[in-house]
Amino acid sequence: MLKTRIIPCLDVIKNKVVKGVNFKNIRVMGNAVEMAKYYSLSGADELCMLDINASYQNRKTFIKTVESIAKVINIPLTVGGGVSDLSDITDLLNAGADKVSINSAAVKNPKLIRQASLRHGSQCIVVAIDGKRHKNKMKVVIKGGREITKNELITWAKQVQSLGAGEILMTSMDTDGVQNGFDSNMLKKVTSNVGIPVIASGGVGSLEHFYLGYLTKSTGLLAASVFHSRKYKIKTVKKYLSSKGVPVRL
Amino acid sequence: MKKKVIGLIDGQSGNIGSINKAIKDIIKGRPYQLKIIKSHFNYTSFDKIILPGQGAYATLMSNLKKLKIIQPLKKYLENNSSYLGICVGMQILSDRGYEEKITRGLGIISGDIKKFRNKKLIIPHMGWNTINLNKDDTIITNSFEKKDFYFVHSYIFQNIKKSDVLAFTLYGQKFPSIVKKGNIYGVQFHPEKSHKHGLNLIKNYILKS
Repeated sequence: MLKTRIIPCLDVIKNKVVKGVNFKNIRVMGNAVEMAKYYSLSGADELCMLDINASYQNRKTFIKTVESIAKVINIPLTVGGGVSDLSDITDLLNAGADKVSINSAAVKNPKLIRQASLRHGSQCIVVAIDGKRHKNKMKVVIKGGREITKNELITWAKQVQSLGAGEILMTSMDTDGVQNGFDSNMLKKVTSNVGIPVIASGGVGSLEHFYLGYLTKSTGLLAASVFHSRKYKIKTVKKYLSSKGVPVRL
Repeated sequence: MKKKVIGLIDGQSGNIGSINKAIKDIIKGRPYQLKIIKSHFNYTSFDKIILPGQGAYATLMSNLKKLKIIQPLKKYLENNSSYLGICVGMQILSDRGYEEKITRGLGIISGDIKKFRNKKLIIPHMGWNTINLNKDDTIITNSFEKKDFYFVHSYIFQNIKKSDVLAFTLYGQKFPSIVKKGNIYGVQFHPEKSHKHGLNLIKNYILKS
């Protein structure tokens, strides 16, 4: 039976894992390579890392960090943040990423999804979608939720699937960073409208939240703070889910 | 003592970094050497060949053709020499692939590579899933029974002889997750991404065969 994946997410600037709400009050949580190694050893099913400040200066160090991480872990690695064109995708795959996640660039230029999946295969193209409620509609947002696009969430989710995305990384900007749980309603809408894997992201604060995330039919559950702060170990989350009858890799 | 030569084929089908590193770690301090195969090669000078692959069947076959690898690889396999195919590297052992278009495979293990039949399944089959062994094997030993490995694929081996299936996995249906014929092995999952059990499998393949 396919297991539900538990995926720690590292928000990275250069080679440091950071935490900060909307780029304010940024705190360093640790060294990215050390943390990646720790999660790989302690039972993470996959690792996600995002360059949250992809300036030209920081990018080189970030790519070096991807290379170092790929060398010390032997679980799949998804890398995103600041991916704007095909050459960015190639650079990250060459650095050792197994999957590359595209966000704003896909919204601005949907063809990029098709081009990338034709060149590298759908299995390594993840489209990250940030969703937010706006005037009673679920919309796609970019720039960390500050810019609301014209795209309706579900239409866009279906479109990225037909363009060749292998997976959707779905973050609700209404619940992200608040630790009150995943946005079940939004996630269910997405999973019931696409046939590709969906990773739930944004809002985990308790063990039960992971279980509620599983109930949305998301096949991957992503979390950052609860792991970085050592509130929960990955094993703790998996044992809890297993006790609730969720298939996990123990 | 003469060193055993392991060939790692770079079919330009995904990154070979992880598998390359895994092999290097295993053979460190042991009488083996690793050579990357990127073009026509002398098939008699390799003791083992590993071919990892990602992406489409047709793409890997056409890459191997361009690189002039098909002919020596076929000779090597027809000799029943030791081989480990990973993901698409396993799939091309079949007669035909139906991804994108119908493509002729290497024809070593009879069968076709077709899409999962159940239309309701989430595709690709992505994540960790369990292998169930059909029989005892010197490399894929009992220690791997019911262990989880990382899969990412949409196509599976079909119309295969039962005797060529070493392990199966369940995802909407039973499908072959490890195939074996003589000294030729193929795994549908990615051992290089499957943490300790994956590394143990690669280690067994290199050291025990």
